[in-house]
Amino acid sequence: MKKLVMFVTLILLIGAVWFFLRTKPDDTKVEKLVLTGSSTVAPLAAEIGKRFETLHSNVRVDVQTGGSSRGVSDARAGLADIGMASRSLKEDEKDLLSFTIALDGISVILNKANPVEALNKQQIVDIYTGRITNWKDVGGNDAAITVVNKAEGRSTLELFLHYFGLKNTDIKPQVVIGDNQQGIKTVMGNPNAIAYVSVGTAEYESSQGAAIKLLPLESIAASVENLRNRSFPLSRPLNLVTRGEPAGLAKDFIEFARLPQVNDLVEAQYFVPVPR
Amino acid sequence: MFKNVLTTVLIWLTALIVSGVFVWLLSDIVIHGLPRLSWAFLAEAPKNAGRSGGIGPIIISTLSILLVAMVTATPLSLATAVLLSEFTENDSVIGRLVRRSLDVLAGVPSIVFGLFGNAFFCIYLGLGFSILSGGLTLACMVLPILIRTAEEGLQATPDDYRLAAAALGMSRSATLVHLLLPSAAPALIAGLMLGVGRAVAETAALIFTSGYVDRMPDSLLDSGRALSVHIYDLSMNVAGGDTNAYSSALMLILLLLIINSIAMSLAKQWLHRDIVLYE
Repeated sequence: MKKLVMFVTLILLIGAVWFFLRTKPDDTKVEKLVLTGSSTVAPLAAEIGKRFETLHSNVRVDVQTGGSSRGVSDARAGLADIGMASRSLKEDEKDLLSFTIALDGISVILNKANPVEALNKQQIVDIYTGRITNWKDVGGNDAAITVVNKAEGRSTLELFLHYFGLKNTDIKPQVVIGDNQQGIKTVMGNPNAIAYVSVGTAEYESSQGAAIKLLPLESIAASVENLRNRSFPLSRPLNLVTRGEPAGLAKDFIEFARLPQVNDLVEAQYFVPVPR
Repeated sequence: MFKNVLTTVLIWLTALIVSGVFVWLLSDIVIHGLPRLSWAFLAEAPKNAGRSGGIGPIIISTLSILLVAMVTATPLSLATAVLLSEFTENDSVIGRLVRRSLDVLAGVPSIVFGLFGNAFFCIYLGLGFSILSGGLTLACMVLPILIRTAEEGLQATPDDYRLAAAALGMSRSATLVHLLLPSAAPALIAGLMLGVGRAVAETAALIFTSGYVDRMPDSLLDSGRALSVHIYDLSMNVAGGDTNAYSSALMLILLLLIINSIAMSLAKQWLHRDIVLYE
């Protein structure tokens, strides 16, 4: 037993030393492209990056997350070659350039056990601002509403606020969440919760049997289909952001990310390819 | 009589609840995670944002981050613990200052370490998103645990040892190496285990320092995704990543068990060999 442990440890140590000391003849030629930003765009950008790497053998695409605002500020500060933002650029960000690689929509979701089938714009505003606090006021059960809001800096939050004409300080949330999956899990676990998440993710999860339902908005069903034909009102572009006209590797990558060859990757992440 | 029975029942109930929670948690992970776990899963790279494929590069990154953290933190914390328990009086100014700052450091939330690591190691020192940045950040984070447990272990060794060693004319360093450290070994190892546990479970500090890249790292300066970050991303950010998240979580627990048992048997051999303490 003692000898075995010593042996395993020795092997592990030798392995570790070999791993980090092995010679890398081509190391100097490797070009690195760093992308930071929206956690919604990150998995897609990482997949596009992997395919890009297979076509350019001495390129490495490093994708880091942290939210859209981070992507914008990193691109502006030069900390990243390309920023990722799951929204359009704001007025004070027009010093940057954006390139749309996919579309995503935001849907309001409820637990399947909730009898409410639709909410109009005003009702959603009233629920989120705390003027309606019980489901019976909108035709549901006599139960308190659990309002789920997104954390500051999330583009889903900004888009939601913009669409409903709200300020974040107006919202009276009971739960504050980060990512889409977290929103879905919160609503799955609480029949009286209301949240808003990415349409693609919600549609996939509900098709996989998650106990949630997607509410229509302005009588238009929240579906990938309606995102594609651009009829769904609450949608957002997924953007790559650069400071100034992209050049060199960044330019190649952005062009590659907008080619139809990566449509399968976009759809695999439950987003909608940009029609072109 | 009735009071006694009540107390017994309550104590048993508490024990049952505590172990029940553990068994529930573990069996949930095993039931959901085991079917996907295979050699191929452990060796392959993640595909389709981690929904398919394996976790090979992620295990390597995790181990590298852990290695950097422990190699940096262990000597530092051992030296500090020796300073605190052997070379300063308990109520001296420097001792109090060091202890107080360690207690504050121990209470700092890990996200703050992440932001600090990002600002200091990644940006100021120019290490970028890398395994090195992540490992050094974790080293800062586990320092208080390592130091305080090592210090308590050293202080628990009877003063008789020190007096006897001094009477025999042993130098202070010889006493430390041959007598005090070996007899404090169980505490040192326990501290190390706690540190490894905290480090390997860390997500918030690593997402900003070692990063999100799930490729096989070539060097310590490459970004590498840790297992905990991978689990977080799969369960919270990637639709349809739950099965692989479970398998990765199972792997994380197995990894921790393996590291713990290796460290435990190493400690028994190396440290307890020098000293015979049967009283």
